Amino acid sequence: MASGNTPRPPGEMLGEAERRRFADLLAMVAERQDRAAYSELFAYYAPRVKSYLMRLGADNAQAEEIAQDVMVTVWRKAALFDRNQASVSTWIFRVARNRRIDVFRRAKRPDLDPEETMLLPSGVEAPDARVESMETEARVRAAMKDLPEEQVNLLRLAFYEGLSHSEIAGKLDLPLGTVKSRIRLAFAKMKARLGDE
Amino acid sequence: MIKVATAPFMDDATRAALASGRAEPGLGLFLDVLMEMRGISEWEGEAIAGAALEAEAPATMKPDALAMALAAIDRGPAQKPAAKAMAYPELAGLPIVLRDAIQSAEAKRGWSYSGPGIKRLDLGFAGGAKAEIIRLEAGTAVPWHSHKGQELTLCVHGEFSDGHATYGPGDFSAFDGAVRHQPRAHDTGPAYALAVTDAGLRFEGLLGALQKLFGQ
Repeated sequence: MASGNTPRPPGEMLGEAERRRFADLLAMVAERQDRAAYSELFAYYAPRVKSYLMRLGADNAQAEEIAQDVMVTVWRKAALFDRNQASVSTWIFRVARNRRIDVFRRAKRPDLDPEETMLLPSGVEAPDARVESMETEARVRAAMKDLPEEQVNLLRLAFYEGLSHSEIAGKLDLPLGTVKSRIRLAFAKMKARLGDE
Repeated sequence: MIKVATAPFMDDATRAALASGRAEPGLGLFLDVLMEMRGISEWEGEAIAGAALEAEAPATMKPDALAMALAAIDRGPAQKPAAKAMAYPELAGLPIVLRDAIQSAEAKRGWSYSGPGIKRLDLGFAGGAKAEIIRLEAGTAVPWHSHKGQELTLCVHGEFSDGHATYGPGDFSAFDGAVRHQPRAHDTGPAYALAVTDAGLRFEGLLGALQKLFGQ
């Protein structure tokens, strides 16, 4: 997706205490429509969702509008947030991504209902699945801190920005085989999991 | 329902396409529904993206952005006509993402007649892949056919056989254009399949996954 936007390089991930605090804030939004809690979440996430949208090629005005929209959805769907299943960041990413999917699916049919669907697993999750998803968040973050910056960047381009392997190869001027093997290596590190025989 | 942690049929490129939301819409839906029906979760990809969003350099929002969002919240969601009951109540238990797509398509264009005992619902996605639901009355069959491109067929309700194998909910077939098949619903009740065809054009970005699906 070519664009004239040149987003600044990313900063730091949140610490565990901050992640827990954001989960508390979102729970307050869900339980008692707490505007102060929402304002704090908005201050942190709205500008980052906007950056995400600009990375995907939206211009400033579009990104502003969609970011606001995503944050309104965060308010409306807050009750669906399950802190045992995902971090607030992953959950808000999902909301923003689903908006992207929705636009993509319906690109030729602007008359369709723009309300996105949440791709959250429906039904009751097994207790072990909950533990597993929390561990996944922790493991992924630990790996992202440990991995060389170059590999983290590859994962970011593939899983966050959604570039194909060949687009990444073109962008970074690397052979396609190198991109593939490095992503495989980095992703494998994240997948090493408890209970694997 | 079996629960496995990762989808054995997906490669890293497909995982990334799904997690990032970039997957061809019809194929993305197919994989989402398949994973949910099989109890497969793929959390790593989304957690990577969540961590990347969290570390994103903030863009500048308009000074009144929060006030505007709160005003939108106060206005409440746009009034939508109450969702009509589904044409076929047996589909109410499908994964939400598929049920929503069906209800939206039913509201826009509805099911079309496609031969005795056969109905189709085009899900109307943009992109090169066509996604539709095919409904077969108990005991009826689609005529033998092949396709221009690749076809993925996922049984979402009921049971059918296609001359190659038997499919229940969560089972799928993946054929390229050369293979002829004839899905026939079992006599026990109607069968529904989510069929995604690419007309030979658009699955190339996810070819690695498809090659795995095809066992090549």
